[in-house]
Amino acid sequence: MSYGRVPQDDGRFAPQAEEPARAMHSAPRARRVAWLDPAVVAICALVLAPLGCGDLLTTKPPAGTRFDQPLDGLGNSELGDFQDGQTQFRRAFSISEGLGPIFNNVSCASCHSGDGRGIPTNTLTRFSRAGDLALAEGGPQIQDKAIPGAEPERLPVGGEVSHRLPPPVFGVGLMEAITDSTILAHEDAGDGDGDGISGRANWVTPPAFVPATEPGAGPGLRVGRFGRKAQVSSLLQQTVDAYHQDMGITSSFRSVENTNPLSSVVVPGLDGAPDPEVGGQAVNDVMQYMRMLAPPTPGEMTPRREQGAALFATATCASCHIPSLRTGAHEIEALADRDVALFSDLLLHDLGDGLADNRPDGGADGREWRTAPLWGLRIAREFLNGALFLLHDGRARSVEEAVRLHGGEAAGARDAFVAMSADERAALLDFVESR
Amino acid sequence: MSRARPIANPAARLALLVAAVVLLAAPGVPAATPPRVGPPPASKVSPEPPVHGNPEGISWGGHGELRLGHDRVRGTSDPEWFSVGRVNGFARARLAERWRVAGEGTWDRATDDFVLERVELTYRWKRTFHAHGGIFPAPLGRTNLSHDAPRNDFAEHSLVATQLVGVPNAMLGLGVRGAAGGGKRPMTYEIDLVTGFSDGLIIDSPGGTRLPIGRNNYGDNNGLPSVVGRIEFHPSPDAEWGIAAQSGPYNQTEIGGMTVDGRRWVHLIVADGATTFAGVRLVAETGVAFVDVPPGLLGLYAEDQWGASVEASRTLWDPLFGSWRQSALRVAVRGDAVDLDRGLRGDSRHRVSASLNLHHRPRAVARFGWYYELQRDRFDNETPQAGVTFTAATYF
Repeated sequence: MSYGRVPQDDGRFAPQAEEPARAMHSAPRARRVAWLDPAVVAICALVLAPLGCGDLLTTKPPAGTRFDQPLDGLGNSELGDFQDGQTQFRRAFSISEGLGPIFNNVSCASCHSGDGRGIPTNTLTRFSRAGDLALAEGGPQIQDKAIPGAEPERLPVGGEVSHRLPPPVFGVGLMEAITDSTILAHEDAGDGDGDGISGRANWVTPPAFVPATEPGAGPGLRVGRFGRKAQVSSLLQQTVDAYHQDMGITSSFRSVENTNPLSSVVVPGLDGAPDPEVGGQAVNDVMQYMRMLAPPTPGEMTPRREQGAALFATATCASCHIPSLRTGAHEIEALADRDVALFSDLLLHDLGDGLADNRPDGGADGREWRTAPLWGLRIAREFLNGALFLLHDGRARSVEEAVRLHGGEAAGARDAFVAMSADERAALLDFVESR
Repeated sequence: MSRARPIANPAARLALLVAAVVLLAAPGVPAATPPRVGPPPASKVSPEPPVHGNPEGISWGGHGELRLGHDRVRGTSDPEWFSVGRVNGFARARLAERWRVAGEGTWDRATDDFVLERVELTYRWKRTFHAHGGIFPAPLGRTNLSHDAPRNDFAEHSLVATQLVGVPNAMLGLGVRGAAGGGKRPMTYEIDLVTGFSDGLIIDSPGGTRLPIGRNNYGDNNGLPSVVGRIEFHPSPDAEWGIAAQSGPYNQTEIGGMTVDGRRWVHLIVADGATTFAGVRLVAETGVAFVDVPPGLLGLYAEDQWGASVEASRTLWDPLFGSWRQSALRVAVRGDAVDLDRGLRGDSRHRVSASLNLHHRPRAVARFGWYYELQRDRFDNETPQAGVTFTAATYF
């Protein structure tokens, strides 16, 4: 019901239309239009066109050109799990649903653009002091957002600080399925072959909440493979900590709210949701979703890219960015026993002073970083407004800039790249950016 | 991604708003002036709904809309193909010579919410001046004041209506409505004290500031009123221009006796217009919102939002056939956009729509429509969405 906006005193709330039977058609009364009036035909054609033209109803992107696609070969049940997990991954939390009291962002998808990498404005800040996680000062991660009534954490003076760009989440199931022995086979901690490159694994202890049945869990030290310094061995741990540290969402794995230890404000129950704020199922759904995310399809190998691939190898880039590793057995068949073209050895390497954050993480020291996978670079710009943010903190805006910032064990490869002709460098970059 | 500064001095802004509305409205309430306003321009949007019962006693009515659609998001079909678009029922009664009471409820698919749109008591002080109180639609734009399903030229309301104003948006309050000006160029006005928005627009809103989630604040979460007002001009019989504004505090400063935040304000300005040019009906609506966001949420929650829509419609055949005297066929196109965070590139929606409307009888319409929308997330990643819809709407 709509009331006329001029009060009337005739027993009605609104003006009587002049001619109710007509008034619906809106004024002005049109002259009668010829049936074949070109304008009318054009308008009708425009309206009816979607029935026969798929483009007007949107089209699916070509296969392999997105970061949020499931692996090939998943069963119906697994695809159902994938859908459930995608819903949870994209779920943004409101304050009344448990967001906070301190946090960095509102959903998984809010940090990982299109399931790819993040952007410099949503980097996470890791903090520690003399190797200690500095829990009493807000470490190991600074939560710079807070709900009303809580105080966001501020970076303490001094200590070790590391800014971390959210990494892509596709393909992590494949990374998980690569066996420890495959990774360790590429270790050369003492640089025994004398090539100046000495990769080593980051041996870490998974937290107690990770069941021993989970990949990367179990008693003792395990090979870390997730995170910028391979400081996490278990995908479940990565997921639980993202809920807890990044969003301030408690789960059945970590059910105590993360609070600002330096705040004088007492904030019990401020976020309005009882703990745990999500059940184990939601966490598991997200973990399974990430596990089953497929990497994008690499670009076509042209002769120029073949040349680039050869240069990539001769410059010793491929010594760390190993083009392919093979997975082992996995309960998800689509992950098992296949070659994975991630262009990483998942090992730690000293990248020199320029890239050092001087903040140890697990067994990694302040100069070491896990070799970053290069897959997905082909379409990364599409999810970053045409920009590209590379290296652990996103400081490099192009592959070439990232290469030139390499140091330490990668200095030789960098120098070889710089020594190439412009055409050769272009071929190498074309190859890398087509992966 | 630089962000706009928070609104400076909300109290001063509110004072200016109230002063402006009162000053502009004042000419309309000279008690001794005989009413000069004749019948307003006949509504060119739609007729009055049919009313059952006794208009001098108790009457009732309503409207509804069914929607069949094929929607696709980035080429993937939405499994939902049939839904109720909106449904509404109202009742009203004349209690005495000067007293009226009305009730109305609406469910709308766009906001997926049932809204108690009206529980309103009206006192007709004089023909051109009414006082009213209770729950009633906030006078925030022409769509919120007039959104009956059979009146619409489109199956969906505009983005500014659904994402910014939150149509249907009703509030608890009291105020006055009136008219002024000559019979040929009347001006109408409304000014109310209302409960305003609640902090649900932040606290219950995942993923950013969303004013519609702070609607339905019937209980008033903070005990402080908001001011909402509207002035509408009718420069010619088929033209109307309106501007509306609302301002008020939205949040609670204490929870369980503990101070959690300072007073925070939300301001919403909506302007709209309609006219006819060369046989084409043109309707536009635009709105801008300013929200005082708690400092701990800056960067994630928008301080500034904006939206606009422009639509053009034309009657093609009236009547459709000579023997079907009450039928008509109309075509309409609309472009609309909303930027839900002006401090950020992204978090926006843009849409074009077209609709072919068969009014096979008065007060009912069957529409065939198409829309194409680009939604951008906070990374500015684009998600295209489109659909064809068939809707049927009628008054009961």
